Amino acid sequence: MSLRTARTLTALYFVAMAVAVMWPGALVASRIEPWVFGLPFSFFWPALWVGLAVPVLYALDRVEARHRTPDR
Amino acid sequence: MERWVFITAFIGVYLAVTLAIGLMAGRRATSSVAGFVAADRSFGLLVMYFITGATVFSSFAFLGGPGWTYGRGAAAFYILSYGVLGMAPFYWMGPRAAALGRRHGYVTQTQLLTGRFPSKGLSALVALLSLVAFIPYVTIQIRGAGIVIEAVTDGHVPLWLGALVAYGIVIVYVLVSGAMAVGWTNTFQGIFMVVIAWTLGLYLPNRLYGGILPMFEQIQAARPELLVTPGLTASGDPWSWGAYSTYILISAVGLMMWPHLFMKAFTAKNDDTLRRTVILFPTFQLFLIPVFLIGFSGVMFGRGPDQADFILPFMILETDLPWLVVGLFCAGALSASMSTGDALLHAAASVVVEDGIGPFKLLTEATQRLLMRLVVVAVGAIAYFAALDAESSLVQLLATAYGIVSQLAPPIVAAMYWRRATTRGVVAGLLAGWSTAAFFWLNPGMKPYDMHEGVLGLLVHVPVLVIVSLLTSRQEEAHTHRFCGPIVAGEAPE
Repeated sequence: MSLRTARTLTALYFVAMAVAVMWPGALVASRIEPWVFGLPFSFFWPALWVGLAVPVLYALDRVEARHRTPDR
Repeated sequence: MERWVFITAFIGVYLAVTLAIGLMAGRRATSSVAGFVAADRSFGLLVMYFITGATVFSSFAFLGGPGWTYGRGAAAFYILSYGVLGMAPFYWMGPRAAALGRRHGYVTQTQLLTGRFPSKGLSALVALLSLVAFIPYVTIQIRGAGIVIEAVTDGHVPLWLGALVAYGIVIVYVLVSGAMAVGWTNTFQGIFMVVIAWTLGLYLPNRLYGGILPMFEQIQAARPELLVTPGLTASGDPWSWGAYSTYILISAVGLMMWPHLFMKAFTAKNDDTLRRTVILFPTFQLFLIPVFLIGFSGVMFGRGPDQADFILPFMILETDLPWLVVGLFCAGALSASMSTGDALLHAAASVVVEDGIGPFKLLTEATQRLLMRLVVVAVGAIAYFAALDAESSLVQLLATAYGIVSQLAPPIVAAMYWRRATTRGVVAGLLAGWSTAAFFWLNPGMKPYDMHEGVLGLLVHVPVLVIVSLLTSRQEEAHTHRFCGPIVAGEAPE
């Protein structure tokens, strides 16, 4: 994957997250059911976006590292 | 022997260990200004991870988080939502700021700002407003420490004494060891608070309700309004989507603009360390899940405390836990308070001396270090006395502090990424943003859609920065290239 693609996809993830956890995206998740891991859906929703950020940032880092001269 | 004696002894041991770690850390640092402020740029991944996590999560998260959840329900989820959004851009901004720091010898973010936009007035202005934003933040940390100690010792150690001892220790290790002490004590404190939050967050719902799902089902039956975003206001009315969303937005924009967090870019050993800290930060963020569970576990639990912020100490005492668990909880809360408080005091000193005084008077390294230590004591003392006499308006002051700090984001981004930005544009933008935020803070009734005053400030700030920059003459190409051009890894300092 090219550096530009990886950066665009990462940026898109965080824009999507911003829309999802704020108005209007958060309206969709403003509900108690379905329960996930015993948590109401409105609680699980932001936690899901936070958790998924780790693999997204890790994937970006793999691509960035290939395009970098070795760090000190 | 009585319970409170064991608890007090436990807290005493915890504080002694913290002090010892702080003092031993100082023996690793050189006695230069770069040593005191930036720990000789020496921190590896483990230390950076816990410094960042423990610094971000303060008394506000550990005591305020359960308090918000208990009183305002889903409104607290905003605290979970913003951290990662605020941290992610630092994957790129952090290494660039660090490279500029190495190249030009910067140790504070204002030096980066005035390096690109030379102006002594700008430097002093940013230093002054950072200090204004810092004081309520430190005050909350000190008060948090005092409240916890007073609560778990059944009042045998009053707030004034508990806060004095805890922050006396913080001041000693910051004075002696600077950034090294902040780094190594935060590693210890960070581990402590994460372990304790998860332990209590899973233990309390199980003990009181027989599990997490049964707890939420009982809340759903009795008070379903607590479980849907955007939750409630402090007085129990439904909160607005405008306020909920803009609280997330302003906190995300402001988070890394806090001088004590931004300066971490200058303390990292290398760029990979900074990048990995950003990648791993969301795992630290999830520590808010058990913090919220603690708050929810108080909802159905009979009579609550008068003030929501006391829910965690209240739950701990009312549920008749073993003294060791109470002691652990207290140490966790103190960790949250002290790990943010020490970084704030340290950063306040660096900012006042390097940015407020430095540009106007040539100081020797020895004088700078002396002045920084005086400022640590002075800021600590002001915040301590404010903490003894705290009103509820402090929480409001912290929200306003975010309004001030978030205005640093447009100039910082412009300094590193926009070649056409000019000094006049940046100063005009800052003044416009700050006055707009101040206006809506003083006239909250006039805020459109109940939006946070800091967001309204940014809506005026950014256009003013752009327009005034375009109307004034552009900076020299060679100058802007040094800040916005490509950064070569491993280059030698100039």
